[in-house]
Amino acid sequence: MTETNNTQSSLSSRRSSRPSRTRKPKKSQLPKAYVTLAVIILIGLGLGMVSQTLALFWVIGLGFGFILQKAKFCFTASMRDPYLTGSTSITRAVLIAFAITTVGFTAIKYGYFAKGLPIPGMGYVVPISLATAAGAFIFGIGMVIAGGCASGTLMRVGEGFTMQILSLFFFIVGSLWGAHDFGWWKLNFIVKGKAVFLPDVFGWFGAVVLQLLLIAALYIAAEKWENRKNEAH
Amino acid sequence: MSKEYELDCMGEACPVPLIKLENKLNELEVGDLVIVQIDHSCAMKNVPEWARKQGHNVEIEEVDDGEWEVFVEKAV
Repeated sequence: MTETNNTQSSLSSRRSSRPSRTRKPKKSQLPKAYVTLAVIILIGLGLGMVSQTLALFWVIGLGFGFILQKAKFCFTASMRDPYLTGSTSITRAVLIAFAITTVGFTAIKYGYFAKGLPIPGMGYVVPISLATAAGAFIFGIGMVIAGGCASGTLMRVGEGFTMQILSLFFFIVGSLWGAHDFGWWKLNFIVKGKAVFLPDVFGWFGAVVLQLLLIAALYIAAEKWENRKNEAH
Repeated sequence: MSKEYELDCMGEACPVPLIKLENKLNELEVGDLVIVQIDHSCAMKNVPEWARKQGHNVEIEEVDDGEWEVFVEKAV
């Protein structure tokens, strides 16, 4: 095999000529799927009798996990792959998700604001400072080594990837430790920053437009980065 | 004469399989074949995507539930 035009078909023939190892025929997973589905529905019904909200959380959590797994949606890869492989497909997917949530959450918050009700979720408008950037940097190192961020680790443990059960264990240990010392961090670092709620600064319309423009700029930059890398090779 | 190599990445989370493949391909001649064994679903996305982008020939086979072999023929 010395010819230079290595086409896809030549790969196929090489592949099939390879002595196939002894493989057991795949067992159908459908019985397990039916049992799992039944258990999911039963737990859902059980939670619904305790509280409607719990049942809703159950459904949303399952839906979130299903989409993460099927889409191979990975926040770690969105930050890592542009550097590692030059691919920004997941980065752009995350940016699109940000754009959708920007519109959705603004609509919800504005709905409450327009009726004169207290705006929900304002507890998450927290001060930002250099501590935010430092923490994000540490988290970034950690998630690349652990092979996934919080949602990614949970999803892969569910898939049965045993190595990340270890990640999950230390993710819980770290979370508990963080929660234990959170008061100290809040007092000494977090409250020294400034909390910014964009609609207070730019108005509701201005805040949405500004944020969407920023996301669009990042999206264009991501696309340019992917093409630039392509030309380099 | 082109050669075949197996690259065992079972139990490795991405991006480890990708880095291993990249290093392996650097040692090889054009036409050589690497069979990457993977059981991490995320690596299943970025290994073929990266290899195709580099211009190599890629084929994927699911050998068992949640276990894949990615065939990468070095083309450049």
